[in-house]
Amino acid sequence: MAVSSTQVQFDSLFGLFTYLAIAVSIFVFSLLIYFTVKYREKPSSRQPDDTPILGKVPPSRGHARSVVLTVSLSTIILVALIVGSFGAIDNILTPPQHVCQGCAIEVIAHQFYWEFKYDNGTKPYDTRDILRVPVEQNIRLNVTSADVFHDFGIIGYDIKTDAIPGRTNTIWFYPHATGNFTIQCFELCGVGHYTMIGHLMVLAQLDYFAWYNSTVVH
Amino acid sequence: MAEQFQASARRWLYTTNHKDIGILYIITSLFLFAAAGVLAITMRTQLSTPDNSILNANVYNQFVTVHGLLMIFWVLSPLAFGFANFIIPLEIGCRDLAFPRLNSMSYWFFLFSGVMMILSFFFGAAPDLGWTLYSPQTAAQFSPSIGLNLGAGALILMVVSITMSSINFLVTMFKMRAPGLKLRYMSVFPWAILVTIFMMLYAFPSFLAAVVLLYVDRAFGTVYFSSIQGGSLLWDNVFWFFGHPEVYIVLFPAIGVIADIIPTFARRPLYGSKYVIGALIAAALISFVVWGHHMFVTGIGIASTKLYTVTTIAVSLPFDVIVISLIETLGFAKLRLKAPALFALGAVANFIVGGITGVFLASVALDYALRGTYFVVAHFHYIMVGASIIGLIAGLYYWFPKITGRMYDEKMAKVHFVLSMIGFQILYFPMFLLLDMPRRIVTYSPQTDWGLLNLTATLGGFIFGGAQLLLFYNLYRSSRVGPPSGPNPWDAWTLEWALPSPPPPHDFDVIPTFSTDGTIRFGSSAGLPNGSDHSKEIGYPNGSSIGSNSSLHLEGLSPWPILMAFAAFIFFLGLTIGKPANPQPVSYEPFWPLIADGVILGVISLFGYSREKFTVHEDVHVESWPFKQVPNMKLGIWTFLGAEVIFFGVLIGSYFFVRTNDAAWPPAGTLFEIRNGFAMTLVLLTSSLTAIMALASARAGNRSGLIASLGGTLVLGAAFLYIKAGEWFSLGSSGIFQNYSLPATSYFITTGTHGVHVFAGMCMTVYLLANAIKGKYVNGDQTTLEHFGLYWHFVDIVWVFLFPLFYLI
Amino acid sequence: MNTNYLYLLVFAALIGETDVEVNLRSIFQAENVFVTVLLGIAGTKAILIAMYYQHLRYEPKSLSTWVIIGLVIASLLMGLSFVQLHVGHP
Repeated sequence: MAVSSTQVQFDSLFGLFTYLAIAVSIFVFSLLIYFTVKYREKPSSRQPDDTPILGKVPPSRGHARSVVLTVSLSTIILVALIVGSFGAIDNILTPPQHVCQGCAIEVIAHQFYWEFKYDNGTKPYDTRDILRVPVEQNIRLNVTSADVFHDFGIIGYDIKTDAIPGRTNTIWFYPHATGNFTIQCFELCGVGHYTMIGHLMVLAQLDYFAWYNSTVVH
Repeated sequence: MAEQFQASARRWLYTTNHKDIGILYIITSLFLFAAAGVLAITMRTQLSTPDNSILNANVYNQFVTVHGLLMIFWVLSPLAFGFANFIIPLEIGCRDLAFPRLNSMSYWFFLFSGVMMILSFFFGAAPDLGWTLYSPQTAAQFSPSIGLNLGAGALILMVVSITMSSINFLVTMFKMRAPGLKLRYMSVFPWAILVTIFMMLYAFPSFLAAVVLLYVDRAFGTVYFSSIQGGSLLWDNVFWFFGHPEVYIVLFPAIGVIADIIPTFARRPLYGSKYVIGALIAAALISFVVWGHHMFVTGIGIASTKLYTVTTIAVSLPFDVIVISLIETLGFAKLRLKAPALFALGAVANFIVGGITGVFLASVALDYALRGTYFVVAHFHYIMVGASIIGLIAGLYYWFPKITGRMYDEKMAKVHFVLSMIGFQILYFPMFLLLDMPRRIVTYSPQTDWGLLNLTATLGGFIFGGAQLLLFYNLYRSSRVGPPSGPNPWDAWTLEWALPSPPPPHDFDVIPTFSTDGTIRFGSSAGLPNGSDHSKEIGYPNGSSIGSNSSLHLEGLSPWPILMAFAAFIFFLGLTIGKPANPQPVSYEPFWPLIADGVILGVISLFGYSREKFTVHEDVHVESWPFKQVPNMKLGIWTFLGAEVIFFGVLIGSYFFVRTNDAAWPPAGTLFEIRNGFAMTLVLLTSSLTAIMALASARAGNRSGLIASLGGTLVLGAAFLYIKAGEWFSLGSSGIFQNYSLPATSYFITTGTHGVHVFAGMCMTVYLLANAIKGKYVNGDQTTLEHFGLYWHFVDIVWVFLFPLFYLI
Repeated sequence: MNTNYLYLLVFAALIGETDVEVNLRSIFQAENVFVTVLLGIAGTKAILIAMYYQHLRYEPKSLSTWVIIGLVIASLLMGLSFVQLHVGHP
């Protein structure tokens, strides 16, 4: 069930990584277990000829072939992962140029709450810890901090960014469905770190703009 | 009885023997492992259910911070270096490290630093912002309690310990190998230690600079980490530049242990050993260019994030080679599944999971979701506990017979293995599934679905933690009543197994020799180059005039290392223990009595150390490529200067960082008088001339020339500091901090650190001058003069860069 | 040549270069060029001190390599952080 653009993209890339990880793990673990079981010491085991013994540096063993094979196969997998990641990061770090009126919101982290500033000058106490956005619109967030290093993350949206004093980091997403989601702080910022819980309310567009227009500050 | 206790106490407090020091490190780190483990199990209990209240947030934050700091700095590395201390000299065929008293000092600095860290709990607060200590929450205005000051002091002492060890091990491993033991004949454990030491040498000075800057910011009101131009990103860069090599520093020794244990128990050589060593070197090199992956979502720009994604993903390649080589070693083997082998293989299994999940985190795109979550916690615990601790436990069982002469209980060890592995998976695997849960939170809401996974993890924690009690009991009991193990219970090939268990104080009666066909000769006179008289190889232990009692272990004692370490401890305690004085701006009152005591004791110890007649036996026939013509002490000094290059590099780099980040920096000539800088440059350059003239005079036998040159150096150094003091005074009274706090910060900190180095140099000059007047150096050994010169010219070189950077740009 | 004479020659070069540094601003106005040349001159002074006063010129190559490794690693931190701050931002 598609929740947001960021979640869809994450699930797809994470899925790629996971499938490859499982495949590689199965392969390597099978090797490890097979070799351990098959070559464990039994009464029938023969003594290898090159057993290292005291008094002699062990003979060199192994082929460059093995290294070449390992590195080549790994590189192929890793290149796929890099390409996938590059595509995804291009998407994450290019927010849309134009978003609707009321869809560009400033997020300001404090010790220990979230402040959201809308472009119509909505009063802070109307929005403290609550981020309202319309569904099926590109939403752009400019995230910063008023005091220390926080991290703004939306659980279920698979997106977050650091909130650093003096800097603004921009993230964006396109919500696919209405609903409520939890916002939390993901960087230890003091004793109240665990209390920095906010709520993302994705509203139907009519409901959102009704609220937005009602909070205009003149 | 009392005499025995006294002799025993003297032995352990004053020992400089590498085996004793190794045992001290191992026991201390195991004790701290238990302590940090108790912190962990308490946290896990707190997190087992939602909205729990066993620990409040204040205490929890201290627990999570100290748990991390203790495990990384006071458990993983010291345990590994406990083994390295005991085993490496044996494996390379020498009798001790290059600088035995320095080695002892390393241990005592380490111990007192740990005491200081733990003391912080009792002085009001321990550090409580994670072991990563992010800015600006660590600034005095946000964290006024003295916990972070004490933590900074403890960390500084610990880095000093590590730097001394790095220099010691590097010189030893390059310059004291047995005849014929080329670097390529060394097995993987010594290689892993060597590579680790390189990383330590170049990474830790960055951490030292970061902690010093943090302390100065907090105590003196400078603004590197609280300013916007510096702040979070400056700390992130300087910390993680160290932090990433650091996580390999705590991993590589365990890999070395595993790579030596598996072939021993498989009864076949390591597959592709030269590729494994090459992989370690490659990974160590790459580790210095991946640190940005800890900063993926800080806003460093798309080019940098892509660069770090590529380098971080690439660093997994050497590890692939290592894992595959370890597995291939088992091919056509005759694998004895005793405890060391079981733990080694278990470590490999955990490492596979940890390594693969590391690749997930290497992708900047995935990091935008996974950053700061329990997925990260799971990944690094799979490596640091699953691979590193489990691998080091393998080493404990492996070398226990060599160290104690007794065999541990194999059945109990196997039970320990099964419980540890099962407990470990139950403890950490659920955390991968908690990829929405933030790190370092004291509790969570029942409305999340995190409760069950957390409860499972806690259960695993109790199993894993409880299993370690079997380890302690097994080792303790076996060390008392275990059956004698004999010299080589594992039938291994590395040199330590040729010695009795435990080895005698002087290790080898006769240093073994390696010939080009790989044969190793023990105690035979054949195979020595030039047919020299082998009787010269019969060793005598390092000697001091103290404790010449010939009974076992009482040679080579020296009280100065522990006294020096204690002096440093109380000095730093005095610096950091002062309660907050003003609320706004926060400042701290130093505790002068302790500081004064520390300085006095330190000066006495330094004096005693230098006057002590401590001879270090240096074998004549050693492998020393590529430093054959470089004496040990000189190599040690250059190694130290290498670390200083990084330290000053970070200080200067921090200045660059904030300056290029700040559009409104005052132009040259507005803040600092160019003619002051010019004068100081001329003065210091002239002092370099006089310093080199002093050496030349001594070599030419010219006593008056020597005294004049040394006197000149002293006067010029004083002149430098005089001009600098004047400048500082006038800048301070002009209120530079109010209007130009960032330029003032970079200026005072950088030139201040440099000034401290000049002052130290002047103290050395006074010492040399006193000796020169007594007639030394002219007709004898000028190496002390030469070494002083190396240091002094380095200090001059630093100023050569500081002058244009601060006065002309 | 006589080593004392060599030391004096190096000293003269160091003083001379310092004089150039102080007056460099009047020659190069462009900021980047000025900084590069200035630090380049400082670098040559450092090399002179290292080679002749610290004797590196006459030591085995292994020692100079040792030093260069440290310098390379120190420059990594500065170089890559510079990239972070100034390259690839929208």
